[in-house]
Amino acid sequence: MSEPLIRAEGVTKVFRQGELEVHALRGVDLTVGVGEFSALAGPSGCGKTTLLNLIGALDEPSGGVLSVAGQDVTQLARGDAADFRLDHVGFVFQAYNLVPVLTAYENAEFTLLLRGASREERRTVVEPLLERVGLGGLFERKPHELSGGQQQRVAVVRALATSPSIVLADEPTANLDSTASAGLLDLMLELNQELGTTFLFATHDELVLERAKRVVRMLDGRVDEDIWD
Amino acid sequence: MLPRLAWRNLWRQRTRTLILISAVTFSYALLLVAMGVGDDSHQQMLDAAVEGAGGDVLVHRDGYWSTLAADLVLPDGLAVAERARGVEGVAEAIPRIRLPALVSTADGARAVDLLAVDPLVEEALVDIHEHLVEGERLDATALESPILLGIRMAEDLETEVGGRVVLTASGWDGELTRALFRVAGFLETGIREVDETLAYTTLQAAWGALGDSATVTQVGVLVQEGTDVEVLAEALREGLGRDGVPVEVLTWRQAVPEMVGFIETDDAFLYIYAAVMFVVVAFAIANTFLVAVTERVREFGLLNALGLRGRRIGVLVLVETAVLTLVAVGVGFAIALAGHLAIDHWGIPIAIWGMEDMELAGVNISDMVMRSQITTSKWIVATVAVMVTTVGSAVFAAVKAARLVPAEAMRFYE
Ligand SMILES: Nc1ncnc2c1ncn2[C@@H]1O[C@H](COP(=O)(O)OP(=O)(O)O)[C@@H](O)[C@H]1O
Ligand SMILES: [Mg+2]
Repeated sequence: MSEPLIRAEGVTKVFRQGELEVHALRGVDLTVGVGEFSALAGPSGCGKTTLLNLIGALDEPSGGVLSVAGQDVTQLARGDAADFRLDHVGFVFQAYNLVPVLTAYENAEFTLLLRGASREERRTVVEPLLERVGLGGLFERKPHELSGGQQQRVAVVRALATSPSIVLADEPTANLDSTASAGLLDLMLELNQELGTTFLFATHDELVLERAKRVVRMLDGRVDEDIWD
Repeated sequence: MLPRLAWRNLWRQRTRTLILISAVTFSYALLLVAMGVGDDSHQQMLDAAVEGAGGDVLVHRDGYWSTLAADLVLPDGLAVAERARGVEGVAEAIPRIRLPALVSTADGARAVDLLAVDPLVEEALVDIHEHLVEGERLDATALESPILLGIRMAEDLETEVGGRVVLTASGWDGELTRALFRVAGFLETGIREVDETLAYTTLQAAWGALGDSATVTQVGVLVQEGTDVEVLAEALREGLGRDGVPVEVLTWRQAVPEMVGFIETDDAFLYIYAAVMFVVVAFAIANTFLVAVTERVREFGLLNALGLRGRRIGVLVLVETAVLTLVAVGVGFAIALAGHLAIDHWGIPIAIWGMEDMELAGVNISDMVMRSQITTSKWIVATVAVMVTTVGSAVFAAVKAARLVPAEAMRFYE
């Protein structure tokens, strides 16, 4: 069997707040394979975001083994971590996903721009994707001129534009009504099937869990249950 | 990409940005205009002081300039002037006699600062006939022993053109000498003090009165453009001091130390103003950008999460200040240039401050019209200083932005 996309063994994370130590992750074992459409679930504070941040190299684990896309992400230098994110990870956050001064189109092409893609290269990737997620005609809108659902779609396009190894989506539907949530999730599922992109969610939204092929339930910083569809 | 992002970010807080830009713009423009006017008036005062002293470099009998003693003369002044002309870098050497004297008529007597010159040679330094309001030039008159008198003195003495006056002075030997002069014309500068004491005659006429034909009190040397005055003065000391009477060779800096000191003090005040201004501007910018970074922690976290390296986020903040600075410097420069051109064109008469008979370091400047001149090097230094100050004061904020940990930054507003 080939190396899984994500391999976590005994991953721990301790936050220090003055004298206080918060054990956010207490030894997580998890593997995620290519093409999965999976969700981390569990009560608030159980460590979903923390784990997602470690996988996305936004933060460093305190202990354990963690490799993503064949790269050991436990001890990346700050700049290398940024490069790693640009090369391998697409992010969709709960809110404040978009750069306020950039238009929908500029936000969508932002990661490609960071990669140094030419204007033409960016256009051939971003335009069809924006059309595909139903944002044709809204290219020039600023984020505040878009609905919450539309903003999240722009973020999805931006995440997919670089053909990342994995898209990490932390509560992407938390600020949306159920119709918008369902629309966004169906779209992501379709893209997962069309493009084969791996998606990993952190959520407690039932709409996500319904669609996920695998739900990893966490409790107190550990994996509690791993349920495949 | 960074410039575009920076430009749009700046205009998110339009009022704040405009206030910052105006602050930089106006303090910068004000500094340039102040330098322009300052440099020009200093130049004028210096020119006047150098003119009044007699040249860029002055040659006297050793000890003369500090005492103005009548017996410290250059007995072979014409030869000294001739030798000075032979020194490299000398444009002209002007022999002249400065002598305190008394001019009298039947209606009274007045103390004068008599200047005996060769009118044609003197031309190289100053046009002594510039203020001639009546009568003839010294080099055109047919009168024997001609003298030009300040108009107020002439009125007091009730003389007229062609009239006789008696000049009394102490001769080279210390004995009082009297001689008859004929009034060739009147000079009117508009400056009371000058018009009461000014008197010009020719070297020939002075020598006639003093019984001599070569003695002068001073040889004023004008240097050629681009010549180092100090070096030239040294060469003159070498060339003139070897034989004959001991001479002193003074550069204009040494000759008019009060004026040089005044100008240096005046410049120092301007630099202090500039320094205070820079500190204020730096403080405002540093503060504003720190606030701006704090406000945008979440956004910087996002950019970093997406793969923009921390260092480039710091650069983004610096580019924002750089753009702000460029706008401010551009507008400020245009304003300063307009101010410079306007002031230089129309001029600001010093008289509007109501200072009659205003004297600075021995030079009467009450008729001075302040104009403006650009000292390129100073304008460049000021511009670079403004840019370095503004961009530099945002470095702290930039470092802060660059060091944000994305995971924490993203939690900021959760
Ligand atoms: N930067 C941090 N500093 C201190 N404690 C933190 C930090 N990030 C997360 N935590 C704590 O770690 C635990 C897990 O948080 P999180 O991963 O955000 O949970 P979830 O996303 O499942 O709601 C919580 O107790 C939270 O308060
Ligand atoms: Mg969370």
